[in-house]
Amino acid sequence: MVKIGIPRALLYYQYYPMWKSFFENLGAEVVVSPPTTQAALASGSSRVVADTCLPVKAFLGHVLALADECDYIFIPAIRSMKPKIYTCSKFLGLPDMTRAVIPGCPPILDIDIDMSKSKRKLYQAIYRLGRHFTWGPFKVRRAAVAAWQAYLDYRRMMSSQRLTSVEAIDRLSGPPAIVPVRRAGSHAVERQPEQPPPRMTIAVIGHPYIFYDELISHRIKQRLEQAGCRVLTPQMLTGDELEAATARLVGRAYWTYEEEVVGAGEHYLTGGVDGVIGLMTFGCGPDSLMMDVLKRRAAAAAAPFMSLTVEEHTSDAGIITRLEAFIDMIMIRRRARRAPQTCA
Amino acid sequence: MRIAMPHMGNLYIPFKALFQRLDIDFVVPPLNNQRTLSLGVRYSPEGMCIPFKLTLGNLIEAAELGADTLIMPGGSGICRLGYYARIQEQILHDLGYNVEMVQVGVSQRKLVGILALVKRLSNNAPWLKIISAFRFGLSKLNALDRVEQAVQKMRPVEQTGGAANQLYGQAVAAIDQADDDAALRKAEAEYIGRLHRLDKKASVRPLVVGVIGEFYVVLEPFSNLDVEVELGKLGVEVRRTTFISGWTRFSLFLNPLGVNEKDRLHKAARPYLKRDVGGEGWESVGEKVLHAGHYDGLIHLAPFTCMPEIVAQNIMSRTREDIPVLTILCDEQITKTGMLTRLEAFVDLLGRRRRAKQLVGAGCE
Ligand code: SF4
Ligand code: SF4
Repeated sequence: MVKIGIPRALLYYQYYPMWKSFFENLGAEVVVSPPTTQAALASGSSRVVADTCLPVKAFLGHVLALADECDYIFIPAIRSMKPKIYTCSKFLGLPDMTRAVIPGCPPILDIDIDMSKSKRKLYQAIYRLGRHFTWGPFKVRRAAVAAWQAYLDYRRMMSSQRLTSVEAIDRLSGPPAIVPVRRAGSHAVERQPEQPPPRMTIAVIGHPYIFYDELISHRIKQRLEQAGCRVLTPQMLTGDELEAATARLVGRAYWTYEEEVVGAGEHYLTGGVDGVIGLMTFGCGPDSLMMDVLKRRAAAAAAPFMSLTVEEHTSDAGIITRLEAFIDMIMIRRRARRAPQTCA
Repeated sequence: MRIAMPHMGNLYIPFKALFQRLDIDFVVPPLNNQRTLSLGVRYSPEGMCIPFKLTLGNLIEAAELGADTLIMPGGSGICRLGYYARIQEQILHDLGYNVEMVQVGVSQRKLVGILALVKRLSNNAPWLKIISAFRFGLSKLNALDRVEQAVQKMRPVEQTGGAANQLYGQAVAAIDQADDDAALRKAEAEYIGRLHRLDKKASVRPLVVGVIGEFYVVLEPFSNLDVEVELGKLGVEVRRTTFISGWTRFSLFLNPLGVNEKDRLHKAARPYLKRDVGGEGWESVGEKVLHAGHYDGLIHLAPFTCMPEIVAQNIMSRTREDIPVLTILCDEQITKTGMLTRLEAFVDLLGRRRRAKQLVGAGCE
């Protein structure tokens, strides 16, 4: 069976269920690289100029981890996921850049996704991709329909049950086949049956591929949970909620991730949570602007907001200190707000 | 209503001509200088690219001069540039300037957009007047670029250091002052003539270096610390594909007709980069492939954290076509001494390579 490698990085967290369904319906086997390790990150990082952003370095590390384990690597070139809302250059250049910096990489399956162009162009692109596996246009069509359904199920599952991407992927398909099997199942989320009610609710805003990558995000979710916080993410909001909040703050989204960052940020800043953390990586172009929008918004609304920038050399200790300070700040505000009432 | 726009090279001259002819109150903020940069850096979000910082500095300095209507490029799918105006407007408002930003589309339907904007700003002047003013602005732009090309040729071969540059400064001023077509033509002819008549060093065949990279840093000498002048001082002839007049000629008039000056570059880049990645990333790769054979080296100018140029840089270092490339990352941190040291080392390398090639060539005969 043809083996397709999918790097556990960047778009994986949003689209894995869709891609898996597509390739499996075409009779291929799908393998996923193991969660990011320091070694993988370092190997990816060694291939590119230093100013390349962390998530792209990690992505290349995942490609290297898959290189000997599969027949093809799937790397889509995504220009837009919604009409006239474009992605960052690095997503667009991903297949070509990977090919250039990892010469020994297995053949790359790339597909151009540009929702600003006509539907026909999209179908043609999908068909061209499917042709690696079958000549039958109907088989490709069936696989594409099933893939789209898998994606919708996945989205609905996250927003209706307030699940994170990782949790939803696990529930939908069982832990993905990982090569080489190292710490099998270690990423599966074990839910403690009875937990004390959370002290506070914190929303963490940012690109899913930063938040869910435990190495890049320094396990910010787990750390917050250990500190007694309930953690909300942009993926737990529906598309409509995201769009409405984005419209309120900036009008129409400009970047692909704007709804996840600016929209979700605005949504959470205006209520429902005790604090919002904006998580970004150093050198991210779009975030340099979007986090600024949120910072201004938070200042205007006097809402607790902290922006956290991670880079290759960020230490766990540094993150812990920042998180603790943020939680303390929220507690102090809370007490200050209650104080006058007790005096009265 | 007082109008202003940020600087990019000499672009203010054609715009001044256009607006003056339409009796629009147009103010030119100080040319980029240290204060512009520090203002821009102080009020920009962290991690922004240098074009954002410098243009923000210009806008602040324009607002200080009483400008209330600020023109910025806009559009979708053009990297961070399309988002600049939104944030800059916010920053200016937070600083207490009551300004309105007007965006002119540089991604789609450019000519229509620009003309409609001018029509609005000119309080509905008759189209005939607008078209004639617009044409005059374009003539100035073209004249400026033709003079600059002559200067690029003379810098490395001039006998007296700095002579070409001095004439260049005078030429720019004369073009700025010309107030009709005849005066403009006269100024251009005079200075191009004088440039050609400068004393030249005896028979030098200068090293040829292509300057490539992101549009703004290539065209705004302040942001690249006058890299072209410095190369000239080192006796290097600079060639570049990017000129504003080239951009306007193609993107305003010829692209709508399906003619694209960049096709050549894209075709050259295609074996390594198949698609547009925003900004000038695709073109940078194409320039390297295309010029590898006939230039001695390339200076690749990229704003620090520029996404398209990072993609380009990663790919460029792996092409089969071989030519030395020096990437200079432009931001407020670079210093003249640092850059000069790197330029000198690079030019040395190019000189050695050329001599080695000549030796091999001679040996074959
Ligand atoms: S959006 Fe930011 S983090 Fe993502 S690829 Fe682009 S620069 Fe990197
Ligand atoms: S192309 Fe580069 S300099 Fe221009 S907006 Fe994008 S990141 Fe900034």
